[in-house]
Amino acid sequence: MHIHTKFSEGESTVEEIASMAKKLGYSGVCLVYYPNKFKEKEKLEEEIKNVSKAYGVKIFLGFKARNVRELNFLVERRKEYDFLLVRGGNLNLNRKAVETPEVDILTHPELERFDSGFNHVMAKLARKNNVAIEFNFREVMITSKATRSRILKNLKTNAMVCKKYGAKMVITSGAISVWEMKDPLVLASFGTLLGMSIEEAKKAISSVPEEMIKMVRERRSKKWIRPGVKIV
Amino acid sequence: MKKLKVLPMSLREKKRYVGFKVIHEKGEDFAHEDLIAAVWNTLLDFYGEYGVSNLSFQIVKNVWYEKKKMGVIRCKHTEVPKVIAGLGLISRLGDTKVTIKILKVSGTLKKVKEKLAIEAKRKDY
Repeated sequence: MHIHTKFSEGESTVEEIASMAKKLGYSGVCLVYYPNKFKEKEKLEEEIKNVSKAYGVKIFLGFKARNVRELNFLVERRKEYDFLLVRGGNLNLNRKAVETPEVDILTHPELERFDSGFNHVMAKLARKNNVAIEFNFREVMITSKATRSRILKNLKTNAMVCKKYGAKMVITSGAISVWEMKDPLVLASFGTLLGMSIEEAKKAISSVPEEMIKMVRERRSKKWIRPGVKIV
Repeated sequence: MKKLKVLPMSLREKKRYVGFKVIHEKGEDFAHEDLIAAVWNTLLDFYGEYGVSNLSFQIVKNVWYEKKKMGVIRCKHTEVPKVIAGLGLISRLGDTKVTIKILKVSGTLKKVKEKLAIEAKRKDY
């Protein structure tokens, strides 16, 4: 979940990511692009399909909204790609993300903030609208000292709020290079540091993404119209 | 010198062995000493001296597959997630970019060695 390629601020190609995912024991990954690459969606899908077949790793196409305008643009075209992520950090955007049922993941709500950027009201909305909250390992990995401790504190607060109100949690590597991709056990262990139980942490890297993938398949079928509405 | 008498079984700390593999950039290399230094520095940075003392952490120096870059770490049985998360924070060894894959967690060194021996025969990476 949540890996950037060379095509979207990242450093590695789709092939390199698929190869590393296989080495680390992942059955699938989600590559994230920004809406400015939406026009080249067909090309990206074609590349992903070929690499996925060659390496035997499922690769999903995700788009990440950085502001409300991009979010509205992506919501309108929700059926055309797999995952919709929202870049957290801005309170209005965090709120808008958890209010939108089309959104799959609110990524790092505490990004570049002194507070956690996420509260009980948002947690209730996230649960209601089935929006998962991301816990990004990269944020902790690339920082140090006071910044790292502040981020960890915010992540712990968010985990506590999510647990209390039953909002979904996902732990991701947030990698922008293959060398930032982490073993699933590392991510689960990171979850336990944030106050999750080992079962919750494992769920956050396995069954929650699995449920999302089910949802993606349903969403991309011809019967799906919008969240809660489908042709039977 | 007189040898210290070993603690009775009931008082000994329960331990776990974590077998790991360092996946690194092709064409780049690093020494085992670099890895040991990086692991200690990362854990000390992240958990502090007091935190690391609680991990009862040590690197098993005589189990190291140089060619496949695989090794074993020993720690307290309750602190395994902390050690694994700490290992995950290592992304560089000198100039070499690396990522760490956890191969096996076990209560006996024998089991971990068996797993490493199997992994050493693999040719896909």
